Amino acid sequence: MTNKITAITISAIATIAFTACGTNKHEEVKTYKMSAAEVFQASCIKCHGANGEGNPEKKTPKISDKTIGELEQDIYDVKNGGSNQSSGTTHTVMEHNMQKLIEKGYDYDTKVMATYMYETFHK
Amino acid sequence: MKKNEILEEILKEVDKHPEIMSRREALKFLSVSPLAASLLAGTTVGTSAISASTVKGKIVIVGGGLAGMSTAARLNNTITNADITVIEPDPLSVSYQPGQTLVAGGIWDKSEIVYKRDDKLPSGVKLIKGSVTAFDPDNNKITVDSKEEISYDQLIIATGLTLNYGAIKGLSGEITSSTTDNAAVKEKVGVNGVHSIFFQDGAAATWDGIQELIAQAKAHTGEKKLQAVFTHPDTPIKCGGAPKKIMYLTHARLEEAGVRDKVELTFYANGKDMFGIPEYHEAILEQFKTRGFKWNYAHNLTGMDTDAKIATFNHHWTEKGAWDEDLEEFGVILKSENVNVAYDFIHITPPMKAHDVVGKSKIGSNAGWVPVQKESLQHVKYKNVWCLGDVAAVPMGKTGGSVRKQYKVLIDNMIASMEGKTTLPAAYGGYTVCPLITGIGTVMLAEFDWSQKPTPSFPLDPTKERWIWWLLKVYALKPMTAIGMLSGRA
Repeated sequence: MTNKITAITISAIATIAFTACGTNKHEEVKTYKMSAAEVFQASCIKCHGANGEGNPEKKTPKISDKTIGELEQDIYDVKNGGSNQSSGTTHTVMEHNMQKLIEKGYDYDTKVMATYMYETFHK
Repeated sequence: MKKNEILEEILKEVDKHPEIMSRREALKFLSVSPLAASLLAGTTVGTSAISASTVKGKIVIVGGGLAGMSTAARLNNTITNADITVIEPDPLSVSYQPGQTLVAGGIWDKSEIVYKRDDKLPSGVKLIKGSVTAFDPDNNKITVDSKEEISYDQLIIATGLTLNYGAIKGLSGEITSSTTDNAAVKEKVGVNGVHSIFFQDGAAATWDGIQELIAQAKAHTGEKKLQAVFTHPDTPIKCGGAPKKIMYLTHARLEEAGVRDKVELTFYANGKDMFGIPEYHEAILEQFKTRGFKWNYAHNLTGMDTDAKIATFNHHWTEKGAWDEDLEEFGVILKSENVNVAYDFIHITPPMKAHDVVGKSKIGSNAGWVPVQKESLQHVKYKNVWCLGDVAAVPMGKTGGSVRKQYKVLIDNMIASMEGKTTLPAAYGGYTVCPLITGIGTVMLAEFDWSQKPTPSFPLDPTKERWIWWLLKVYALKPMTAIGMLSGRA
C-alpha cells in the first residue's frame, strides 16, 4: 500500500513540476512602449517634479526621500489598488490617475521605475 | 509527529467518507497545492537537508513569535557554534494563530493554540526576557528595557504587529494576539455582542458570542432581522481572510441551529474588493451570494457606541474633479460621510500597525512597517538589518504561510552577506496562502504570489471550496508549524 501511495505521489509531483515550467508567470515578458526614463520625463515630472520634490498646490507628496524599496512598494500599491485583501489603498487619487496614464501609454516596469527615480533624485 | 502520521491522519478521515472521495483522489488533490505537496514530499516536518556554515558573528533576533523562533531554530541548525540571541518579553509569545478562527468557531479549544515561549527556544540560543526600547542601527546597537545596551553584527526584526483597538473611537487598548495584559481592550471587546478573533481571549469570547446570538435568534420575533456586522479596516492586516472566515463560521453555526433566517449578515470593508486576485474575488462574491450575505465596500469602522449598539463607519468615494492639465484628464476628489449602523453582533477586525518603538525608529518608515527589499528581506538602508513576518513592509505577506517561505530566504541571504558575498542568492516571490474557511468542513485554499495569479497551475480549479482542504487546515497545518517550522526544518 505504501509503495502504491508513493508511486502515485511521485508521478503527480513530477507532472506538476513539468506543468509549472510551461506556465510560470514570472517568465511572461511584458514589453512597454516607453522606457521608465521616458515616462518619468514626459509625465511623472509634471506633478512630482524633476527631483521628486512634490507640489503642495496639487497635493502631490514629496517622494524624493524614499528608498528604492519604498518607491517600488508605493508604485506596486498604486498600480494594484492596494495589496491586501479588502483593506483598500491610501493612494486613491493616484490610483485613478495611474489608470488614466496607463491608458495613455505611460506604463512601465515597477522595479525599473523605482530604481530610475531613486537614481534621478540622488544624482 | 512524522509526516506520514499527518498524512495518515488525513487519509483516515478520507477513508471514513468514501462517498466523498477515495484515497487516490485525496492524494491527487494534496499533490497539486504547493503547500500540501510539501506534506507529501516530506519537507513538512523535518527532513530537509541544511548545509552547515562556519560564519562568525553575533546575531540578535528581536521578537520571539513564530517568525523569530523559527528563524532562530534554522540558524542554529545552519551555523556551526552560532551566537544567537532572541529578545522577547512575552512568556506566551509563540502560538498557533491560524487556530484562532477555529477556536472562535467552536471547533478547537483555546488551550490547543497556546505555547510557552521557553519551550520553543532552540537549545543553545540565548533568550533575553525584555523589550527593545531603542534602535541605533548606525552604531549596531539596541537598548533593552531602557537600560541594557546590546551590540550586534546582524539584526533580525521579527516583532510582529499590534492590534490597535484604541484607534477606533469608543474602544481602547493596543495589544498583540497573545498579550495577557489585555484588560483595556476586553472592557468593550468580547462582551455585549462586540467581538474580535484577532487575540486569543477574544477568539474564545467570540464562540460565546456566537452562541448568544443563536439564543437571541431563537427568541427573536418580528419582521426585522437581527443584524450581524463584520468589518475589515483600512490598514494591512495579518491573515487577510480572517474577517471573512469568521463570517462564514457564524453563518454555518446559525444554519446548524436552524435560525439563519432570523439574522442578516453584512460585511463592511474599507477596500473595494473581496480579494486582490480577480479569480478569488469572483469566487468569494459567489460564495457570499449563495449564503445570502450582504456587503458594503468603502466603509471603514471609526467609532463604536457599545451602549447604544451603534457602529460608525467612514464611507468614502470619489467624484469627478476639475480638468487636470498635467494629467490631460479630469481629476478626482475624495468625498466621505459618516454612516451609523445598528448591530446586535459585530465582529471587529482592528486597524494594525508596527509597535511604535520599531515603526518610528530609524529602521521604521513613514508607513510604519520596516522597509525591506521585498525579494531579499534585507533592510533598504542598513545592510546588516533583516526583517520578516507581520512587521515587514512586504505586500500581502502577513501570514504564517508567508513566514514559512521568508525565513529560509532571509537566512540564506544573511549568511551569504556574512560570508562577504555581494549578490544575495535567495529571493522571496511573495508566496502566501489563505486557507479560507467557507464553512464547517469546507475550505478554499487560496495560494498566490506577487504575480497576482492563483499559484496552483494544475488543471484543478483553485477557487473551489473543498473538504480535502478543510482536512489539511484542521489536521496538517498545525503540526507543520509547531513541529516543522519551529524546529527550523519545514
